[in-house]
Amino acid sequence: MPRVHLMSDHRRFTGGEAVVEAGGATVGAVIAELEQRFPGLGDALTHGASAGVNGEIHSEPQYLEVDPDTDIYFVAPLTGG
Amino acid sequence: MTVTDDRPTYKWVGTRPIRHDGYEKVTGKARFAADLDLPGQLHAAYLRSPHGHARILSIDTAAAAGMPGVKAVVTGADFPDLDPTDPNFDVSVNVMARGTVLYNGHALAAVAASTRAEAAAAVAAIQVEYELLPVILTLEESMADGAPLVNEHNITKFVESDGPSNLATSNVVERGDVEAAFAAADLVVEREFDTAYVHQGYIEPHACVVDVGPNGKADIWASSQGHFMVRALTASVLGWETSRIKVTPAEIGGGFGGKTTIYLEPVAARLSEKSGRPVKLVLTREEVLRATGPAPASKSRIKIAASNDGELTAIDCWFGYVVGCTNDFAGLVGAMSVASYKFPNLKLEAIGALTNTPKSAAYRAPSAPQAAFAIESVIDEIAQTLDMDPIDIRLRNAVVEGDPTAMGMPHPRIGFVECLEALRDSDHYRSPVPDGAARGIGAGFWFNIGEQSSATVNLNEDGTATVITGSPDIGGSRASMALMAAEELGIDVYSITPVVADTESVGFTDVTEGSRATFSTGMAVVNACRDLIEELRARAATILGVDLDAVTWVDGTAVTDGKDPLPLSAITAKAKSTGGPLTVTASLNAGGAGPSFAVHCCDLTVDEETGQVTILRYTAVQDAGTAIHPSYVEGQLQGGTVQGIGWALNEEYIFDDAGSMENASFLDYRIPVASDLPMIDTIVVEVPNPAHPYGVRGVGETGIVPPMATVANAITRATSIRMTSLPMSPPKILAALDTD
Amino acid sequence: MSRTHITCTVNGDPVDFLASDGTSLLDALRDELGLTGAKEGCGTGDCGACSVLIDGRLNCSCLVFAPEAEGTEIVTVEGIADDDRLHPLQQTFLEGAALQCGICTPGVLIAAKALLDANPDPTETEIRYALAGNLCRCTGYDKIVRSVQEAAVQLKGAAR
Repeated sequence: MPRVHLMSDHRRFTGGEAVVEAGGATVGAVIAELEQRFPGLGDALTHGASAGVNGEIHSEPQYLEVDPDTDIYFVAPLTGG
Repeated sequence: MTVTDDRPTYKWVGTRPIRHDGYEKVTGKARFAADLDLPGQLHAAYLRSPHGHARILSIDTAAAAGMPGVKAVVTGADFPDLDPTDPNFDVSVNVMARGTVLYNGHALAAVAASTRAEAAAAVAAIQVEYELLPVILTLEESMADGAPLVNEHNITKFVESDGPSNLATSNVVERGDVEAAFAAADLVVEREFDTAYVHQGYIEPHACVVDVGPNGKADIWASSQGHFMVRALTASVLGWETSRIKVTPAEIGGGFGGKTTIYLEPVAARLSEKSGRPVKLVLTREEVLRATGPAPASKSRIKIAASNDGELTAIDCWFGYVVGCTNDFAGLVGAMSVASYKFPNLKLEAIGALTNTPKSAAYRAPSAPQAAFAIESVIDEIAQTLDMDPIDIRLRNAVVEGDPTAMGMPHPRIGFVECLEALRDSDHYRSPVPDGAARGIGAGFWFNIGEQSSATVNLNEDGTATVITGSPDIGGSRASMALMAAEELGIDVYSITPVVADTESVGFTDVTEGSRATFSTGMAVVNACRDLIEELRARAATILGVDLDAVTWVDGTAVTDGKDPLPLSAITAKAKSTGGPLTVTASLNAGGAGPSFAVHCCDLTVDEETGQVTILRYTAVQDAGTAIHPSYVEGQLQGGTVQGIGWALNEEYIFDDAGSMENASFLDYRIPVASDLPMIDTIVVEVPNPAHPYGVRGVGETGIVPPMATVANAITRATSIRMTSLPMSPPKILAALDTD
Repeated sequence: MSRTHITCTVNGDPVDFLASDGTSLLDALRDELGLTGAKEGCGTGDCGACSVLIDGRLNCSCLVFAPEAEGTEIVTVEGIADDDRLHPLQQTFLEGAALQCGICTPGVLIAAKALLDANPDPTETEIRYALAGNLCRCTGYDKIVRSVQEAAVQLKGAAR
């Protein structure tokens, strides 16, 4: 199952767990499963974070495909000047 | 100087042609936003709050509306109230105050009249009754228990919230066991730092001309870092459908992040709608300083553990960014960006605090310079304490590909070590420090971003090409687009006309920010050219009477065995008979922006009588991935560096106790001038970004990250005093020398 | 409001226009004569983007009242090229990438021309002080100074 790496701010939903596993073929599906298990986390990940997948950071990652061995890193939204 | 991973040889990429828009810009023909006038146009002026925080009890515009030449007056009542959860709520409130003014300079009414003088006279006749509210100016005041609210609509981001607060954001990042690492460390250095508000300081004040026609559609001419952004935000603030607005990008006279948002356009649009006339709105320099930008002020506390042989084993840091009156600032990202070192144990906390000061805006590598100043100063102190070379200690701990970023995601291929080695081996670093001077080193990086871009490439009948994008050209990006297209198509770079098109003439394109134009928009141009080459091969196969598979594209010609090569111009001449015009559009949402690292070195003297710092020599080393147009890459490094030198030595907002900015002019807010500086030497390192067809990383942001620590570290070595407060202006240096 | 009739020479052409007493020369050039090359970056004489030559002297046109232009010869950035041939400063600025956004460029070119007209062989320090009244936020001045140095070399070569 894809491994999801959470920012410290989101670990309050998982009882402090920094890395959780969740099934799904897309980042959106993974988020949906996390919301089932950890109510509130899905919304926080959808609206307050970007996702780093395979070395690339996406601000709207919902439909990105992931494999069972993918690491998904949720990070603070990036901006620039 | 280059470091390459088997880089191919290019014909055009890496050369230095004269930029395509250069002629207009050296002859005064280039049209910036304030250079446009429309027939029948009115001129607008703002009424701005003289108070740092106040409730607006009443606004009486009747007298103003009756004054000579006045055609329209607007206040907050002329704009819809967005829901506080709307992502554009803060922009909306900053464009025009509703009910409460949040800082001195906050716009609360505007007038359009036949002349600027008439508009200004009418503004002065608007009567406002205020109820003064407490003014919060500092981080400490903002975060104090029971502090009055800066902005009653602010809800803290990223954490659970129990109602309005002065806390804008709060983030924590942790890995390893920081406490255990400090307990076991040979050496721990802890310091506190602070930095002042600084402005982006673009020389062109914000300006626009807006014409709302009788059909309700708005034509906007404005300079910005992204005209699709102007369209979207203006529509949102007005409560309009996006399609009612067309934005034509004027040439932009500098942005540096400060023009990634809007201030004027909805106001001019509403005035135009009410008056039925085009409206021109141009800010004064005083307004630019009082009511746009700035970059956040900050405080920080840094604690780093090291072993006696220079391994950095833990970092615990806290950053407080003072973000102004609204909350759309992501401070953590910049704070994270300083994690340039391996640090097995890390704790990083960043907050944003609201104050009754102008809404802060992005400025080159937003929030990273404040953090890098602090961290790179402490690392320098560790190197001094351990008697290590400041490059050696960084080489010992520098992140490489696969090492985790602060957020845990592994770094892709990066060039930090290559930059450190390039400086170590440079003429500057190998030269002895001049007598009476001292030398400092600093480093930093920025993630860079990708996001959405579109490009259309049209081949013309004569074999030339028009490359159309939606990325405003702030510092030579037209030339970069043309170089990449020339490389792909195999035609002369001057046979390509790069165009920045309006919102109805090119596909959606995100703001030019985060060093993304050459990376993302460039990639869209490359993709369009590659699709076009496929089409050219097919047309050539038709003309030559051979199978498509028999045609290859080599250096601008279709090549097939046994026949003369067919140049691009021969194919475009037969476009009609082979299927019609040759045009391709490509668009993308790019991931994979490559972090760009930099290392800076500076020699300076400190006059212990006056506190004056004189920079004698400066070298900026930075990884560009691939420098498409090396002159403009060097220019980005030099410009970012000098902005950083200004931040380090001179620039700061000075407020009185009521929150009024006391130095709102270029005389008193002093940015560096030519006589302050030496040449800024550059060393462009090229470790190609594997996620871009030419290896581009983006170079615009990083240059401003290292200078503050670089200068501070040199001052420390000149005076034996560790300066921890920016700017390191003569009075502060004298005070520190006196205390010592 | 009364308006004064002003007659002067701009970029070699005789011109006349009306201006009220409080109008700056910068506004008159831009609004009355359509010469928008000179820019307003501050309106207080601090940034130099509005630099023009008045009878050969460097001025911030935002600090000059339009009526003061009566009878003078004014040169703006639009007037420094020789017909179709760019002034050597314009050419070296292009070749040396001495501009990024380009908003300060008209003023910098005029200030550099004023310098080279008076001092054909300036040192780097003299160039830096001559341009100290012209703010540029993009370039860090390095490529500007080098391009002025190169133009000085070319102008000396042409004069020889």
